[in-house]
Amino acid sequence: MTVASVLRKFAFAYGPAFAVIYAVARARGFALMTVYPSLGIVLLGMHRSRDVADPVLDFLAPEMWWYGWTATAAIGALVVGLVAALLPDRWMCRFWSGWLWVIPCCAMIECVYLAIPWLRR
Amino acid sequence: MVTALLIVHGLVAVALLGAITHQTLAAWAPANARKTSFFARFRSVPSAKFANAVVVLYVLTALLGAIVYLYFKIDIGPALERDRHWQALGLFDLKEDFVSIGLGLLPAYWLCWRHPLGDPPGRTCDALTAVLAFIVWWGFLVGHIMNNILGFGS
Repeated sequence: MTVASVLRKFAFAYGPAFAVIYAVARARGFALMTVYPSLGIVLLGMHRSRDVADPVLDFLAPEMWWYGWTATAAIGALVVGLVAALLPDRWMCRFWSGWLWVIPCCAMIECVYLAIPWLRR
Repeated sequence: MVTALLIVHGLVAVALLGAITHQTLAAWAPANARKTSFFARFRSVPSAKFANAVVVLYVLTALLGAIVYLYFKIDIGPALERDRHWQALGLFDLKEDFVSIGLGLLPAYWLCWRHPLGDPPGRTCDALTAVLAFIVWWGFLVGHIMNNILGFGS
């Protein structure tokens, strides 16, 4: 196993895994952290302002999950990439390289689906 | 400070847009030997040479955007919600989703262009570049829309 093949296996597993995990995290709310920019605090996990405050005061402490979703996807894909890097080279032959762009495109379509309520409001 | 960051974010994004557009057109519609038109010269660049620049510019643009996004959420987001710009907010949500997915693609994209003669076969490299180009164009246009809704400095 050469360094180049290990890198290739890692990178080719990382991209699709990142897209899938991001899409799942986005749909299911698996954010590694929640950022409250107006308060300057970061909480582990997914939190909603309305859990603790009156809904009409939501604008006082807007929450941000994008950083959490991205972190979840980055860490999850890192694990998948490291596992893939350890697999024998012959397993790569079975991997259709088109998945590299097909899976992210599917994840993007799923994100569009999740945004439909905003777009139709 | 935020305005300066936003302008730098925009300038880096313009550089990224130029690089990825050159590369995508060169990959999908390579120019023939006789470069007679502007379009032919535009797409006659060596695609692989752009990979490093695209990766660096993409990461830099995303980082700057992630910083500016904090201020957007406090100052701009509530105003857009108050004025019921739901479609614009939805498009912006998509921008952040697409940019994240693009970040995950960068290692594979970089490796693709580093080893153009080996794996992966076919047009995977070109397709990956096209996906990244779509993300960059989407991010750029939606960023402009968001900036233009309230107007500069409002």
